[in-house]
Amino acid sequence: MNNKIQKQKSLKIENVNVYYGENHAIKKVTMEIKENRVTAFIGPSGCGKSTLLRCLNRMNDEIVGCRTEGAIIWDGTNILDKKVDPVPLRRKIGMVFQKPNPFPKSIYDNIAYGPRIHGITDKKTLDKIVEKSLHDAALWEEVGDRLGDSAMGLSGGQQQRLCIARALAIEPKVILMDEPCSALDPIATAKIEDLINELKKDYTVIIVTHNMQQAARVSDFTGFFYLGELIEYGKTKQIFENPKVELTENYMTGRFG
Amino acid sequence: MLEKFHSELSQLRKDVITMGELSEDMLQKAIESLKQQDIGMAEWVVSKKSKIAKMDSDIENRALKLLTLYQPLAIDLREIACILKMITYLTRIGRYGKDIAKLTYEFEGKKHVKKLISLPHMSQIVNGMINDALKAFETKDISYIKDFSERDDDVDQLRYSIFRECLTYMLEDQKNITLCTHYIMVARYLERCADHACKMAEKIHYMVTGEHIDIDPPSQKL
Repeated sequence: MNNKIQKQKSLKIENVNVYYGENHAIKKVTMEIKENRVTAFIGPSGCGKSTLLRCLNRMNDEIVGCRTEGAIIWDGTNILDKKVDPVPLRRKIGMVFQKPNPFPKSIYDNIAYGPRIHGITDKKTLDKIVEKSLHDAALWEEVGDRLGDSAMGLSGGQQQRLCIARALAIEPKVILMDEPCSALDPIATAKIEDLINELKKDYTVIIVTHNMQQAARVSDFTGFFYLGELIEYGKTKQIFENPKVELTENYMTGRFG
Repeated sequence: MLEKFHSELSQLRKDVITMGELSEDMLQKAIESLKQQDIGMAEWVVSKKSKIAKMDSDIENRALKLLTLYQPLAIDLREIACILKMITYLTRIGRYGKDIAKLTYEFEGKKHVKKLISLPHMSQIVNGMINDALKAFETKDISYIKDFSERDDDVDQLRYSIFRECLTYMLEDQKNITLCTHYIMVARYLERCADHACKMAEKIHYMVTGEHIDIDPPSQKL
């Protein structure tokens, strides 16, 4: 029992503020993201949902003039602490972007890239990682027999699943997805959504999406953001069927935004 | 935003109310035709059956179209879910009106066993419930439906007392059996209409608050 409590790795976002220069982009956001669940961030453009997502693996560090305050506690550590090295952090908290961005290499090398730079050189071990990652990303059956082919020859949906497989290869605990389906057709989108559902068995997934129906389909919890503030956060069914805050309801029903 | 969706939803809401008023009218005029033995009025009610059916399928198609095209959420989703259920209940109420009106033909040239008091009284309560359900739907004010459980209970009690009364007349004189059986049927139809009004009230409550409730008469509660 004790062991189980220790294993639980929810992400606690505590009073986080983000500034881009003068612009106060995230305002005092406090929320707890549950482990092994899918959490969706929704809200109109510019509401801060992607900014907050990027805080979770310190991607905002790369943006000049971006300043973050507050704490994000994960696995007993405040990951916003400057002493925390973002490189190993990003290994544990991986990310998938809006547009599929495979490396111009073979399918195999795309997946093996991460493990290799983390020091794995043994061919058999790499083979296993590649196969497992492709299985987990529901891509193995489509590409298992042509791992040497260029990743650039895959369809958009396959490329996006390859990027997910690439993120999975370094065994993260949390996967951040920033509009992972916005560049995909409905069939590829459905495959990614099915995959997200599978992924939550082993990973904590946080997804930013503009497609509210998608958030309703894939997530267990939903946070609605507006002008940098977290307006409402709760179980997805409640947020979409019966939001408690008028602003959320107005957004859901297209009365603004 | 989404102006087209909201104007179509608003039109749909108006059409549900128009349909509800027709159902209510059919039921009320059916009882009136029975009471007055007015064949002309009964024929009017029967003639509206196809209109109700047409409104039902028309509203259903448009509601499904809105769901498909706009995938609404929150209150909009709950309202369309409510509409899809309401039109079924309103159609049934209209059809019970038609069934009662058809019985009026059977009464042609015959005298009522006694002056009809209980059935019109029962019908008044039922029509009041349908009317208040429609008002609650239109205004999203659930205070109109707060005492439906008690009103439904009154309707159930009236049905039972009509049944007992009819039994007495039937025992007194077997010539009364045919007409009294019809009265019992009418009471049963009205009681069903009250149940449909309660089901509508439940859906309207869900539409307004997002919470599901069960409306049971107090006497059925444990």
